[in-house]
Amino acid sequence: MFNRSRRNLARWFTLSMGSILVLFAGVIYQIEVKDKLEALDRLLYDKTRVMAASVHYEVRQDQSQVDLNHVPLLGSGSHPLAEDLIYVRWYNAQGQLVRFFGASPPDQLNASFGYLTVQSTDPLLENEIWLRQATLPVEGRTGTLGYLQVATPLRETQQELQQLQMALTLTVPIALGLIALTGWVLSGFAMQPIRQAYQQLQRFTADASHELRSPISAILTNAQLGLLIAPNDSHYHHPLENIVDSAKSMGALVNNLLLLARHQGQLTPESLKLIDLNDLLKSLATQFATLAEQKTIDLTYEQPEQLIELWADPDLLRQAIENLLNNACKYTRAGGTIRVNLVPYPGWAVIQVIDTGIGIPEADLSYIFDRFYRVDTERSLESGGFGLGLAIAQQIVQAHSGSIHVTSVVGQGSMFQVELPLKLPS
Amino acid sequence: MRVLLVEDDPKQLMPLQMALSQAGHSVDGVKDGETAQWLLLEKEYDLLVLDWMLPRVNGVTLCRQFRAAGKTAPVLMITARDTTPEKVTGLDAGADDYLVKPIDLVEFMARVRALRRRSPLWQGDTLSLKDLHLHLDTLTVERQGASVSLSSREFQLLEYFMRHPRQVLTRHQIEQAVWEWGTEPESNAMTVLVRKLRHRLQAVGAADWIESIYGMGYRLTPPETHES
Repeated sequence: MFNRSRRNLARWFTLSMGSILVLFAGVIYQIEVKDKLEALDRLLYDKTRVMAASVHYEVRQDQSQVDLNHVPLLGSGSHPLAEDLIYVRWYNAQGQLVRFFGASPPDQLNASFGYLTVQSTDPLLENEIWLRQATLPVEGRTGTLGYLQVATPLRETQQELQQLQMALTLTVPIALGLIALTGWVLSGFAMQPIRQAYQQLQRFTADASHELRSPISAILTNAQLGLLIAPNDSHYHHPLENIVDSAKSMGALVNNLLLLARHQGQLTPESLKLIDLNDLLKSLATQFATLAEQKTIDLTYEQPEQLIELWADPDLLRQAIENLLNNACKYTRAGGTIRVNLVPYPGWAVIQVIDTGIGIPEADLSYIFDRFYRVDTERSLESGGFGLGLAIAQQIVQAHSGSIHVTSVVGQGSMFQVELPLKLPS
Repeated sequence: MRVLLVEDDPKQLMPLQMALSQAGHSVDGVKDGETAQWLLLEKEYDLLVLDWMLPRVNGVTLCRQFRAAGKTAPVLMITARDTTPEKVTGLDAGADDYLVKPIDLVEFMARVRALRRRSPLWQGDTLSLKDLHLHLDTLTVERQGASVSLSSREFQLLEYFMRHPRQVLTRHQIEQAVWEWGTEPESNAMTVLVRKLRHRLQAVGAADWIESIYGMGYRLTPPETHES
């Protein structure tokens, strides 16, 4: 039970911290991408400015005559600026291509102004490359002289970003692993006081139940002695018998509480024995058949053909099934039937106790395994129940790593299904 | 039977002791293990009823010591401990039976009766010696169709005689067997009791079965004549 809570706690911790980490890594990556592009854009801008500065023009009749001969790359002669730039294009104010360097461009300026990441074909290697392209207007005195479009390869930036990506994909899972580990350790610490408190409560219940036995025993034996000494005195007989009955029922309650307090969690391997489930159910069916017969209830047990053996504490498992059968007998009216089935599944044994009893209201179904829960207080008191039988049955089944389910229709009957793993719980 | 009942809770001790007395047993009830230890050296018992948790010497230790001394009388353990390993410990210490608290008096008495059946003279619910039958449930003695009921002390005396037939029993032994520990009989009490018992047995024609051995004690001798 504690391990399940601890796993849950660790899982949620890892999930939440992991999400934060992944989000954080994503944001870092995005910031880095933005930074790199900005740096690149600045570089492009600087280069474009240098080029724009060497654009010469003359104004004649309010018309600018642009002379591009001195512009690096576009004009004559090579220039150190060339190494970083894939192409340089000059478009006139109307967006017509005038001169270019590098790959052949479209005749009309089609890209919007500003910075863009574009894919282009390398003219030499003929493979797709990513470029950062800047399209900037060059202003003269009379207005826009034209547009400079330059592009620089993104390869280096991409490589750097790829490295960052690589670093993140390596470190994030490692960090996630560390977070999970930390989560597990921390939830272990967190469970410690809960576990202690729980164990203390368990021990208290066990001790209190144990200590209650002596006074209950004294009440019971003294009352019985009274009955023994005054067997024919009807005045004392009835109250004494009431005391005896109450003491016996308190004794049973104390026994049930002890049982609940003791068998919490998984059973120790030493207490488990390899038992034949068929034998156990057969003997229980025989035991309860007499009780059922008194109420004219037909109790049948269908034996499976194959041998079904599992590791269990025989006394506890018997107690669990006994509680189910007891309930079935208690809440089935005369003339009804109780069927016990043992169904083999791969790796599992399924025990069903099906009655045609009064059934359990839908609203109560999810509570019936709670301690001291009674569907109908009046009737349960009458039949001497504490509302612990099903809680005990469930706890025993869970201690065997199994599970217990119930389906019920009011007025038609209930089916309790116990599923037990055939493998030894590890 | 002479029963040693060791139980530290007086509220538990009293009803058990009374119920056992009611059933015709001579019961020594003590509250601690040390006293019980001493009593076991002093007296012979036919049944031990031991609580597990006792002050000073616990029931399991008492039981082990009792068995180590070679005693065979049955031991009934009563305890609030109910787990299987604890039961195994108790039984391995030499207990014959085991009752978990809360004790149901009806069950307790049934267990005592069951343990009582270990006597070699046991026949049904009676102790029989030749044609003399002592009914243990009804405290009556029966012979050749006639029967007479006995008082509890007379019954205890006769039961003691019948469990040890043809054996000289000293006054001290009888005193130990019939009177509970701590209740000193008056000097002539035993003589009176034997006289009373003889008187009862007269009704079934067996008064002369009890012989007085001068200076020693008494002996129960069934007549050897016309016996099968």
